[in-house]
Amino acid sequence: MPAPVLRTAELTVTAGNRRLLESVTLEIPTGGVQGLIGPSGAGKTTLLKCLNRLAELTPGLRVEGQVFFQGRPLYRSGLNADDLRADVGILFQQPVVFPQTVLANVLFGVRHLGRAPRRDWPAVAEAALREAALWDEVKDRLHHPARRLSVGQQQRLCLARALATQPVVILMDEPTSALDPKSTETIEALIRHLGRRRTVVLVTHQPAQARRVCDRLAFLGVREGAGRVLRDGPTAEVLAATDIPEVRDYGSSRL
Amino acid sequence: MRRKAVHHLFRLATGVCAAAACGVFFLIVWAIASRGWAALSWRFFTEQIRLVGADGGIFYNLLGTLILLATALAASAPTATALALLHGVYLRHHPRPRRLLTLALTVLNGVPSILFGIFGLIVFVQWLGWGKSWLTGGLLLGFMILPTVTVSLMERIAGLPARYLEAAAGLGLTQSQIVRSVILPQSVGGLVTGSLLGLARAAGETAPIMFTATIFAGATVPNGIKENPVLSLPYHIFVLAQDSFDPAVGAKVWGTALVLLGVVFALSLLALPVRLKAHEEAREG
Amino acid sequence: MARRRRWSLTKAASWTFSVVALAGIAGLAALFAVQSLPVWKHAGWGFLTGREWFFRESLFGAAPMIYGTLVVAAVALALAAPVGIGAAVFTSEFLPRRWRLAVKLAIELLAGVPSVVYGLLGILLLRNWVYDALEPFEPLSGDTLLTAGVLLAVMLLPTVMTLAEDALRGVPGAQRAAARGLGLTATETVLHVTLPQAAPGILAAVLLSLGRALGEMIAVFLVVGRQDNQWPAPVHSVRPLLEAGQTLSSKLGGAEINIAYGDPLHWAAMAGLALVLLLLVTTLTLLGARLRRTDHAT
Repeated sequence: MPAPVLRTAELTVTAGNRRLLESVTLEIPTGGVQGLIGPSGAGKTTLLKCLNRLAELTPGLRVEGQVFFQGRPLYRSGLNADDLRADVGILFQQPVVFPQTVLANVLFGVRHLGRAPRRDWPAVAEAALREAALWDEVKDRLHHPARRLSVGQQQRLCLARALATQPVVILMDEPTSALDPKSTETIEALIRHLGRRRTVVLVTHQPAQARRVCDRLAFLGVREGAGRVLRDGPTAEVLAATDIPEVRDYGSSRL
Repeated sequence: MRRKAVHHLFRLATGVCAAAACGVFFLIVWAIASRGWAALSWRFFTEQIRLVGADGGIFYNLLGTLILLATALAASAPTATALALLHGVYLRHHPRPRRLLTLALTVLNGVPSILFGIFGLIVFVQWLGWGKSWLTGGLLLGFMILPTVTVSLMERIAGLPARYLEAAAGLGLTQSQIVRSVILPQSVGGLVTGSLLGLARAAGETAPIMFTATIFAGATVPNGIKENPVLSLPYHIFVLAQDSFDPAVGAKVWGTALVLLGVVFALSLLALPVRLKAHEEAREG
Repeated sequence: MARRRRWSLTKAASWTFSVVALAGIAGLAALFAVQSLPVWKHAGWGFLTGREWFFRESLFGAAPMIYGTLVVAAVALALAAPVGIGAAVFTSEFLPRRWRLAVKLAIELLAGVPSVVYGLLGILLLRNWVYDALEPFEPLSGDTLLTAGVLLAVMLLPTVMTLAEDALRGVPGAQRAAARGLGLTATETVLHVTLPQAAPGILAAVLLSLGRALGEMIAVFLVVGRQDNQWPAPVHSVRPLLEAGQTLSSKLGGAEINIAYGDPLHWAAMAGLALVLLLLVTTLTLLGARLRRTDHAT
């Protein structure tokens, strides 16, 4: 069995007095879509942001334990967090486009990371936009302000922007919660497609979405005042784990 | 790695700038405190000036500044309240007059203080024939700090939760009752903060009062309006700074400067905790 | 909506006080305009372009004072803007929250230091430093346009820094997070995301500080030398920086105000100086306010 692309080992995150995550040990296999599901406050987003060390941008967070990306430890190892984030991309709940053109947005990361020579940029942009299923809609509007796109298009633009740097893993924090059903459908299809070539880690709060999109699922719940992984495995199996009270309550309240 | 090096260099350069700014602050306070500390004594605070500043104390200067500040407060507080109520209540549904009001206050805030002094010279000293008067000084200072006090109050009123006003209206209160029993009491904090900040500025101003309200020596407590100047801390420093060759005077000037700094800082510090907190909360993101 | 009586005491009082205040503001501007009319009639545009000011001969040329005002302000901004903006960037983007509040406190207190105290420091300390530093150029004294500029720079620093920091904090955190999420360093994020979006507010900070610089009287008065009719020859010469000069504000704060009272034309000339100063400062204030509104809107 191939090594997991991401692995946490007794990951514990504290903010002041609150334990956001307690001893989370999780393996995320290479390829496919890994879901993180659970009630609010269980630490799903915190866990997600630890995977690309974005959590430390929030002041006051203390991280203990370790996270491994392709076998390399991320914390307290002298690793360059900026380089890591180019390999582990992220998509937020609300699309965050920069006040520039569509093209400038897509190439924003590429420009600064210096991984592709300038002459390749137009091709890189097109490839990323195609992968995000946005190319046909914007190919004539590349030099228009990105803010003029619809919310659904903006989210796909953010995805294209993240894909342009050729990340191995893409993290997504409830990427469809701000979108209408049609855009949600489009993005979910994209996620399934992406899961074939890369690894996607998706935070979702809808069991139905998890069923549609995720190969594996980790359920997080709050126990003894801290977020923990209560069950982890293939999606159907986790959602059916009614022996765990939190899973049972969660499922029944959302169907 | 080049990118990381650039980051460290940039952070260092901007850090030096920040250190310089803070350094300037400490240097200034140190320069004044170290030279002025020697002059401070009980006598310094309770006696009046003698020998053109070479002896005695600054009692009447302190008193004069206090009189000016009290007058400024009395003038600006009701006016600021009036303007803030106009902006937040009576003109709430009239965007253009509101904008004009804010514009007028913005312009007023930028007016150089010397122009207030000359304005006062023309209107109060000459036209009204008051000569130099403490009242003129207080009114001019109150006029000058009006934007500061008003804006603080306006922000406070704008920040009042709508549910307070809705609840009051729901109980059948008239608009003016709502103003008197809900809006004004809830926005007192804004008035206090704005006033403290305004007075901190007014305490140190020389230009508005040098032609209109203050003299160097000879005044004690005013007994009327016309021809009743007061002494003041900033003007005292201003005059002595220009004749700075007598060493005995020197120490006392620094002492006066230290006292003035103390007054200004005390007023600012009283207002700051509330303001900084509100500022940070509003900008968190 | 609440029942509304047409007029109540509170409403009437509010309107009365407000009208008085607003009339005062309008009156201030109108006063200088009206009182200066005689000198406009006497000299026309020559008032602004004339290079000689000899009031005993009814010669009123404000150009050297306008020059002095602009030069002092330019020196002050050239020093204060980079340092202030740099300090604001560091405080806003690189400093943890607790330190940031401490720095803000120090800077707000610094902003409150009265001009006369700066003037005192200028006279008793800065003036000598400048005199010593300029020795190779054989200055007459330490009271020069340069001295005034440097002193003013220190006075402007907190203003520039506070306003620039406000502008930077106004950029949403999501923008920074998105840039960092792509792998940009903190500096790259500042330079390519935060600063560009804060630019209108930072420009406003500079303009508003410039306005303050133009109007500052007491500190400049004490160290600028108060020498009339200093005009650069050639115009781009740096020499005047090393010599005493005069600004609009230092002239207005001097003894001539009292001398001018008896002579209508002289008085009008002083009012004219006040009017010019008021117009310059108000223009900058309005521009700055406009930019800050744009910044907040986005």
